[in-house]
Amino acid sequence: MASRAVQQGFKQVKPILSTNHHEAKRRVLNLYKAWYRQIPYVVKDFDVPISVKMGREKVREMFNKNKHITDIRTIDLLVIKGQMELVETAQIWKQRPHIMKYFEDTVNERPADFLGKFYDGHDP
Amino acid sequence: MLRLWPLRQVVSSAGARFIPACQKSTAPEPAPELVEVFVNDKQVFVEPGTTVLQACAVAGIEIPRFCYHERLSIAGNCRMCLVEVERSAKPIASCAMPVMKGMKVKTDSPVTKKAREGVMEFLLMNHPLDCPICDQGGECDLQDQSMNFGSDKSRFTDIAFTGKRAVEDKNVGPLVKTIMTRCIHCTRCIRFASEVAGVEDLGTTGRGNEMQVGTYVEKMLQSELSGNVIDLCPVGALTSKPYAFTARPWETRKIESIDVMDALGSNIVVSMRTNEVMRVLPRVNEDINEEWISDKTRFAYDGLKRQRLTTPFLKDANGQLMQTDWESAFLAIARKLQGVEGSQMAAVAGGLVDAEALTSLKDLMNRLGCETLCTEEIFPMDGSGTDFRSNYLMNTTIAGVEEADVVLFIGTNPRFEAPVFNARVRKSWIHNDLKVAMIGAPVDLTYEYEHLGETVDVIEKLAGGNHPFCKVLESAKRPMVVMGSSCLQRSDGSALHFMVSTLANRVKAASGADAEWRVLNVLHRVASQVAALDLGYSAGVSGVREAKPQMLFLLGADEGAITRSDLADGAFVVYQGHHGDQGAQMADVILPGAAYTEKDATYVNTEGRAQLTRQAVTPPGMARNDWKVLRALSELLGVTLPYDKLQEVRQRMAEISPTLVRVGEIEEANFFKQAIEATKAGKTSLGKEPLVPPQQVLKDFYMTDSITRASPTMAKCVQAATEAESSVH
Amino acid sequence: MASRLCRAIRPIASFARKQLFQQPAVAQLAVQRRFETTDAVPPPETRPTVRPHDPLVKKQLTDFGQYVAECLPRFVQRVDVTYLDELEIMIHPDGVIPVLTFLKDHTNAQFLCITDIAGLDVPTREFRFEIVYNLLSLRYNQRVLVKTYTDELTPIDSTCEVFAGSNWYEREIWDMFGVFFANHPDLRRILTDYGFEGHPFRKDFPLSGYVEVRYDDEVKRVVVEPIELTQEFRKFEYSTPWETFPTYRRIEAGEDEAVPPETTEPKQ
Repeated sequence: MASRAVQQGFKQVKPILSTNHHEAKRRVLNLYKAWYRQIPYVVKDFDVPISVKMGREKVREMFNKNKHITDIRTIDLLVIKGQMELVETAQIWKQRPHIMKYFEDTVNERPADFLGKFYDGHDP
Repeated sequence: MLRLWPLRQVVSSAGARFIPACQKSTAPEPAPELVEVFVNDKQVFVEPGTTVLQACAVAGIEIPRFCYHERLSIAGNCRMCLVEVERSAKPIASCAMPVMKGMKVKTDSPVTKKAREGVMEFLLMNHPLDCPICDQGGECDLQDQSMNFGSDKSRFTDIAFTGKRAVEDKNVGPLVKTIMTRCIHCTRCIRFASEVAGVEDLGTTGRGNEMQVGTYVEKMLQSELSGNVIDLCPVGALTSKPYAFTARPWETRKIESIDVMDALGSNIVVSMRTNEVMRVLPRVNEDINEEWISDKTRFAYDGLKRQRLTTPFLKDANGQLMQTDWESAFLAIARKLQGVEGSQMAAVAGGLVDAEALTSLKDLMNRLGCETLCTEEIFPMDGSGTDFRSNYLMNTTIAGVEEADVVLFIGTNPRFEAPVFNARVRKSWIHNDLKVAMIGAPVDLTYEYEHLGETVDVIEKLAGGNHPFCKVLESAKRPMVVMGSSCLQRSDGSALHFMVSTLANRVKAASGADAEWRVLNVLHRVASQVAALDLGYSAGVSGVREAKPQMLFLLGADEGAITRSDLADGAFVVYQGHHGDQGAQMADVILPGAAYTEKDATYVNTEGRAQLTRQAVTPPGMARNDWKVLRALSELLGVTLPYDKLQEVRQRMAEISPTLVRVGEIEEANFFKQAIEATKAGKTSLGKEPLVPPQQVLKDFYMTDSITRASPTMAKCVQAATEAESSVH
Repeated sequence: MASRLCRAIRPIASFARKQLFQQPAVAQLAVQRRFETTDAVPPPETRPTVRPHDPLVKKQLTDFGQYVAECLPRFVQRVDVTYLDELEIMIHPDGVIPVLTFLKDHTNAQFLCITDIAGLDVPTREFRFEIVYNLLSLRYNQRVLVKTYTDELTPIDSTCEVFAGSNWYEREIWDMFGVFFANHPDLRRILTDYGFEGHPFRKDFPLSGYVEVRYDDEVKRVVVEPIELTQEFRKFEYSTPWETFPTYRRIEAGEDEAVPPETTEPKQ
């Protein structure tokens, strides 16, 4: 009985890929592994001033950024988008600037304190 | 009822009974019998004497019009408001026709439509098709109404190629640009000049096709309210000269704000485009400025683009002011202040400073141990001084003058110190039989008044009851005594203030005024004064002169009340403000601040009404909002102020004085008796000099503060007014 | 009378089924017009700015729409004929493939060509996205709009197996709105740059975007940075400061015949 109720609960929304958390987690881990394995090739192919370690840390950081998400469909959609990114990267459709965009090395951080904002001219 | 005052003339001409407003207060008015009118078969009830046009407005139908304006008398000469009335042979001009019982008005009938189209056709026949180069384009009544009510095809063919009617342009001064070919002879400008502004400069010459609106001989439109004819003009005949060809109304953004050129706090709309103030227009506020603003308010905005301080400055070893950045300017101040005691410091606030900056400055200086905080404008501090709000406010309120029956001006020229208030007095003088008297130098107020004398002893006589005018004051039901803050700048200011308060109290006791009616009024000249006094600043710089401080902080103080000789040798002067004027010239460090169009700020007007300006444009260059400069400076001085956001500053203001955050409201101040009693101790003797307000003629009006002194338009006005003085006309 | 018929909104099948006996069950689109002229022909529209009404076209579309609703009662939720004589079929998102297959393959429809797939974002709705399939029948010279709805997370079945032409259109919708199409053979971005974040046609996407790109001479490549607007955002305002006749403006903005002609004539 209980399982049927759960199933009905799932029926209310159309799943994108995964039907339960376990499956979603597996997909996330698979994607992470794929990225992890791709990083040495990325560093080599794109000739970016990034070490393999830095690249993997960045991958980890990007995955951790969405750590809080629990909705299965959202996880699935993010996995799909991550997969697309991976394909774009692996196929070398992307170019160097696209890879370096992840690292945001030219972006200056906005000051958060009053004085910093005052000197900067941004409205505190 | 007061709002619709032009009606009265219609009513009296129609022979209906009417009760003047000044009598209205005394006897309970019997409810007038309402007249039943049908507008497009819709039944409405209006008061007798209402015009057909207003009855239609009550029914929710706007009649097109050009000459009719609700604040002016009725002319009925444009004929655009023609409507069909049943059982009337011809369509009638609805703006001039009073309603009659059972009248059936038809505003959408074929007769009405045909009449409108005919009138519009005649108007357009002699109106140039220059909308693309006309400054009124986009906000033109003729444009709008020809779209709404005109015919959709033209029968105008210039068969003989004689051209349309053309009229030579007139030169009426540096503010109003005239393209008289566009004029449709609605005479709104003429009526405004003679009724509201009180100058008989404009009129018509010729008749029929040869009729022209103008000044008869070429001369300047000598009024401090002349800019309002630009708004009144329904077409592009009168436009703004400084604004000419600079922007289109639909591409500007409108920001509702407050004017700071005088202490009235007129409500304005700032039109902004590409981070530049394009023009200033009035905003309706029945309690303050109705829909007029003074020329200084309207045209001084170009002073906001010149002489601006855009970067911090620091005096180098050679005594030269050099551009620097914020951090080094702050550090220079911090280094200088290291050995200075709080008692060796002083601060002076100028006339254009907002309440937020005043609060921050006071908090900052108090944290440094300094208690000498002054305003440039003097106000007597002896006795009760500024302890009671009633001592320094316009207690009757600006709109209150319409209920008054006697006004006594003391040592002020309201025409130039508060032009919009003066227009109200004039309105009341015309329609409510207001009696006006004046003590001080005789000036032209645009209306008649009884001149009681120039010297102070007249006040003494009045206060003692030994003057013939006392009878008038005592018989008055609602007398007002208006003292200009300019006369309090004298050395005997406090005695004068005491004398006038005594007079006011005596008048109040002697006359039959109600308990709520307040007689004593102070008309301030600068926008910051009331807020500064509310916040506990001491008025006048005498405290600074006594202290001879090592360090002086000038917050927008540009009137030169303090000079280097008032300070200790080698004193360190910091100036914070928006214009490179007198204050900046004597400074060692200059901190650039924001002008009133560049910040969200609070100003309190002479009535004690707090109002907000809104940021229209960003401060130029490195300039910053004033309270933020003080907040940042406090951090480097090691006495960080406890607010980071505007909301937090306003909370602090509310702690000091809740009236500062009650936007748009007047808090009643009612301690007249106590104020007098507290003052008795500190009475000094009165001087003998006559009371002479500093602004006596029109040329004195235009340049009074750092913004107007930087404005080229205002400079042109001064030049034109000076020339007009010597002109034969 | 005809116009009243045209305006009628055909609700779902239960209502339509009731009318089965009163109306012809099969409405053909391919009716020759000249046989169906009626006696009460309204005078031809001559005003150049007013679109002429053709009651016949409307009737055909209405009948056809009703027929589709009757055939696919499970999926068709509503059928409209707009005032511009366009047939709109609103369907449940599950029915995209059956309905489109029906419209493509039915003898009396033959909408073989997919001209476009459009998206629409209304953030206040529960299902914020509306997907519009624009079909064309070359056989009958007719067009039809099939509308369905979805939200950010609910996938819609890809129509690539019905119309090969849907492929790029659906990629476009995915790229611009972020609507996921299930079983799409090659779903990836089509218009935006690699690494672009967000879906630009969503209403919550700012007009200026989030990032700006420039060439950086120091790192010798194009860099992407958070946007900083150096220029004022242009916005026009059309109301005049002394707007005199707001009531008339409103009437003009509406339809020409807001007021029926009888009431404007003077009563005798």
